[in-house]
Amino acid sequence: MTKFRFGKYRESDSMSRLLCEKYPTLLVLSRFGIALGFGEKSIGEVCKDTGVDTDTFLTIINLLLDENQDAKIAGASFSLESLITYLQNSHNYFLDYRLPGIRTKLVDALNPTQKELNRAVLHYFDEYVLQVHKHMQYEEKNVFPYVYALLRGEKRENYNIGIFSKKHDQIETKLTEFKHILIKYYPAKSSNEINSVLFDIFNCEKDLASHNAIEDKLFVPAIMELENKIGGNHE
Amino acid sequence: MNNSVKIVIVEPSILLRSGMISILQQLNMIQMDVSDITDIDQLKSAFGRQNTDILIINPSVLGTVSLPQIKKDANNSALKCIALQHSLLDHTVLKTYDEVISIYDSAEQICEKLTRMIIKPVLDKRHETLTLREKEIIICIIKGMTNKQIAEKLYLSTHTVISHRRNIAAKLQIHSTAGLTIYAIVNKLVELGEIGDLPGAIGE
Repeated sequence: MTKFRFGKYRESDSMSRLLCEKYPTLLVLSRFGIALGFGEKSIGEVCKDTGVDTDTFLTIINLLLDENQDAKIAGASFSLESLITYLQNSHNYFLDYRLPGIRTKLVDALNPTQKELNRAVLHYFDEYVLQVHKHMQYEEKNVFPYVYALLRGEKRENYNIGIFSKKHDQIETKLTEFKHILIKYYPAKSSNEINSVLFDIFNCEKDLASHNAIEDKLFVPAIMELENKIGGNHE
Repeated sequence: MNNSVKIVIVEPSILLRSGMISILQQLNMIQMDVSDITDIDQLKSAFGRQNTDILIINPSVLGTVSLPQIKKDANNSALKCIALQHSLLDHTVLKTYDEVISIYDSAEQICEKLTRMIIKPVLDKRHETLTLREKEIIICIIKGMTNKQIAEKLYLSTHTVISHRRNIAAKLQIHSTAGLTIYAIVNKLVELGEIGDLPGAIGE
């Protein structure tokens, strides 16, 4: 009775069907600034109406839905500018909305009889958020401008995307570690509040992982290709 | 969470790799964390990600690397190596492995081999309680001491301290000082107020 569903979403598929079938893609929509309420329109139509590059949208959706997918095999095509906009919005989402939201919930869930421990727990979380901030800020201040320069055909001598090494793993594992610590050691006052925090962390962990997958599998390889092209012109 | 058996598959062929993963999934007998890589060069980073219990490896990818060398890289002398055999191989080669799975084995045979040879012993010897020494070291770490300072205080070599720290991280799955602090408070390894310089939450 095994049932497989193969194949990717295409431009002509209904946008609402996509969202109902795969609800995590809701996040992609908001990061592209696409609002709900598009009725029966197809993915392609919705993208055109909102000025979003359809190829980039589909590439991200399909990569998100199949994490094991190799972007090259999938024949990904997308625009780097759109991708950067997407990544930028995604950063804002984590830093301005997701992580502060988790912190607020966490504070509510803390057991008031555990003052010392609470301080250590919040310290851990804040240190983590700071790390995410730094990482994302680095991308925005160094990597994105570098890519824009590449797109204009300028190649800087002292930088290449290889320098932007994969520090992603740390960001994911630290949140995972936090989750383990809460589950294993935290004497919560009631389970509903702490469960709600944990659900959020589980989800956020997944979101971060797919955000990172998009950077590692789409963004970085595309930049390397661009670097090679420009480097080749100089020689 | 640590009761699962950590398995790494090294096999260049995607068909064989996917097949092996699919069989492991079907076995459904015990929790396994399976990761797969295509060649031997990726092995070190795979070991870095998790403590590996079992390596299922295509003997032809080994090249000049030896099994003892791999066990050393894995930092686990008890690592079990299983040959994934799909072509005729010399008996003396196969004998160096702990077990051989042939591509002609049935799911039952594979299941039996895994259970008998590997999974039982691995699970039997798992223990996660900290030793007294490890607890001492945690206290030093959260007080902000460096490896060198810890070594001097406890009359150990820095090398020993580092290896203790690695064991602590493996047992608790906690890698950061901030995390160890939480562990120490909950488990009362430290007296209240002993961690004087614990920074408060940012923004408080």
